[in-house]
Amino acid sequence: MANLNIDANAQNTYDAIVIGSGISGGWAAKELTGKGLRTLVLERGRDVRHVTDYPTTMMQPWEFDHRGQLTKEVKDANPIISKCYAFYEGSQQFFVKDAEHPYIQEKPFDWIRGYQVGGKSLMWARQTQRWSDFDFTGPARDGFAVDWPIRYADLAPWYSYVERFAGITGNKDGLDTLPDGEFLPPHEWNCVEKHFQKQVASKYKDRHVIMGRAAHITKPQPVHLQQGRGQCQHRTICERGCPYGGYFSSNSSTIPWAAKTGKMTLRPDSVVHSIIYDEKLGRATGVRIIDANTKQMKEYYARIIFLNAAALNSNLVLLNSTSNRFPNGLGNDSGVLGKYVAFHNYRAGISAQYDGNLDSTTDGRRPNSPYIPRFRNVHKQETDFLRGYAAGFSAGRSSRSNQEGIGADLKQNLLNPELGGWYVGSHMMGETIPKETNYVALDKAQKDPFGIPQLKISIAYDDNDEKMIKDYQEQMTEMFTAAGFTNIRVRDDHRNPGLDIHEMGGVRMGKDSKTSMLNKWNQLHAVKNVFVTDGSSMTSTSTQNPSLTYMAMSARSVDYAVKAMKKGLV
Amino acid sequence: MAMAAGGLISLPAWASNWTAETVGLTHNYLSSSQDELLANIAETIIPATDTPSAKELKVHQLIQKIVADCYDKPAQELFRNGLDAVDAQAQKTFGKPFREGDVAQRTALLTQFSQSAEPAQKEFYSLVKGLTIRGYLNSEYVMTNLTHYQMVPGYYHGCVPVVAKAVSPTK
Ligand SMILES: Cc1cc2nc3c(=O)[nH]c(=O)nc-3n(C[C@H](O)[C@H](O)[C@H](O)COP(=O)(O)OP(=O)(O)OC[C@H]3O[C@@H](n4cnc5c(N)ncnc54)[C@H](O)[C@@H]3O)c2cc1C
Ligand code: SF4
Repeated sequence: MANLNIDANAQNTYDAIVIGSGISGGWAAKELTGKGLRTLVLERGRDVRHVTDYPTTMMQPWEFDHRGQLTKEVKDANPIISKCYAFYEGSQQFFVKDAEHPYIQEKPFDWIRGYQVGGKSLMWARQTQRWSDFDFTGPARDGFAVDWPIRYADLAPWYSYVERFAGITGNKDGLDTLPDGEFLPPHEWNCVEKHFQKQVASKYKDRHVIMGRAAHITKPQPVHLQQGRGQCQHRTICERGCPYGGYFSSNSSTIPWAAKTGKMTLRPDSVVHSIIYDEKLGRATGVRIIDANTKQMKEYYARIIFLNAAALNSNLVLLNSTSNRFPNGLGNDSGVLGKYVAFHNYRAGISAQYDGNLDSTTDGRRPNSPYIPRFRNVHKQETDFLRGYAAGFSAGRSSRSNQEGIGADLKQNLLNPELGGWYVGSHMMGETIPKETNYVALDKAQKDPFGIPQLKISIAYDDNDEKMIKDYQEQMTEMFTAAGFTNIRVRDDHRNPGLDIHEMGGVRMGKDSKTSMLNKWNQLHAVKNVFVTDGSSMTSTSTQNPSLTYMAMSARSVDYAVKAMKKGLV
Repeated sequence: MAMAAGGLISLPAWASNWTAETVGLTHNYLSSSQDELLANIAETIIPATDTPSAKELKVHQLIQKIVADCYDKPAQELFRNGLDAVDAQAQKTFGKPFREGDVAQRTALLTQFSQSAEPAQKEFYSLVKGLTIRGYLNSEYVMTNLTHYQMVPGYYHGCVPVVAKAVSPTK
């Protein structure tokens, strides 16, 4: 083991420690410092400061060496991350390179990561829907996983709380499957999307096409201006980092807010190795890190610890935090740590064309698109698969130029493109079922470059997913046909699990400490001063994008933790 | 906090100081004579009119860079061999290197490549033509002066009427 440097002096002691500075860790840091706690934020990656560390954000298309295309060298060296649609010449600096942070694929799993201050909040697609009671009561009703220890009502005020601060655009749609939030003005529809919305509404009473809810500031409120953030300028190159703070990221929002309190110490380049458990005290006392630059081991201490390293990494940290009391990972009395991992299924899609509305087109760009909330198995089980799927939807008009010929005629044609017809498309976002056989574990032999055991990932689709894919393709084909779309093509790209970037579970919440890791406050049943509020804590996965829920849970959990701490309960 | 909602934010100095020079380094991938040949091919595909040609916009340098950095070995070989074949063919049909041919001769030669029975010639031509078009349309000159690219449109309008467009100034 690396040099052990145990100097338990006041310098290394804080009120709270947050592990990870991504979407959930940023919220934990903001809330803890906001409540006056001296908080240490440990982040394994480098520091990325808002605007100044976005090197490509102002680059014009012609300024990129390869006009955005990845080089062969990068692609060959990074077969996994190169599959991510958001990884290109202008954004590659924010993604983990395959060789630098190895893991073991017991089954194929594309693990998409961002290791830096801000985590994946820099590159995410910013879709933010609340989960509903259909999601929180799902396991109890359908009999998969275990019952959630919370319901929508527990989270609703916290959704409102984080939405107001983060800045969420959307429309109040009044749907029970997708509760409304505190919205800034919605993005605009285009005519073909409107057409589809109307057609679907007229043919199905339980299916809805709504404008997407996304973490973009369409109309800044005082709280956004106080963060130094302004109105979204519709550049749609968000994954390079937004100089206006137009979308929510830890870098533009929660981390600088926490810093302003004067209570936060941010320590980048600090790879958390494990959480320290004191058997005499019966509590966690701190965190062991490996300094990424010096490879030295160090310890930091605190009263409470928030683990926010992103779903699978939080599993890893807990699995690697062993002691006599917890030989199988911190808090793992139940033996479920690392198990019941689930994810979203983005495999299927559909595209078509529309020959109407040819007298109109779009202008400008929109960093968002319409959304179709789950409509399958909502009020009753009506199919031969469990749960359901939501879908993205969008329409646009292409412009094409005649590229035949050579010389002056060709040039003339290139500069005078013709408007093509409208194209429409959708992709599925299916809920997968948490199963014991979908798990992560530590590899016994192989270590990462910091000497930490590598994570072994064993996750796969099942029959339920295959049935759901088929149903999505059939139902969407029916809806597209009803809307008069033609040339309909369905696809299944057979992508590996993971590429949806919504992995969840392994440290699940539950009512019973025998079958879950965390209680209703995201608190380890067995170690009361450790809280886990990222995706690892999800009992099941819903069909909605998850990050808004991580934010709300983080804020809620900190509120509880600090109150409990003041009462001497943790 | 003093900040306009409309995006009038002061950016750090470096943000507006990017130039093609600081970003684009040119590889010595082709010999200077092959480079010149490629430039002349690009110029034949997109010639100067009352606006610059692909060669004047240095599209050939971009093509080289993309082929060198983004394509695999077989495509790179196809590219190099294709260049040699163009000059060889020029010697055969008009008795001089491609560079010395007139516009009609060059155009005829490339058109012949585009319809060639030899797959390598056809593929070479479509590779170079595709990259020429991409490089041209994505050049600073074209994007700023002719197609009026806006990095920061600031809006999205979903339903605007299609207007009959004035034809661009090029002839
Ligand atoms: C291209 C893309 C599109 C996406 N689109 C959406 C979307 O539209 N909607 C949505 O809800 N979600 C989306 N996501 C997913 C979203 O980004 C994640 O759900 C979210 O970032 C998870 O938050 P987190 O705090 O758990 O993890 P992260 O944001 O990943 O942050 C975790 C942090 O912990 C750090 N860390 C990890 N291990 C350690 C350690 N051992 N020690 C110290 N630090 C550590 C990491 O470096 C990282 O900074 C998208 C993601 C990507 C990449
Ligand atoms: S679309 Fe909005 S948030 Fe995204 S980069 Fe542009 S201005 Fe920023």
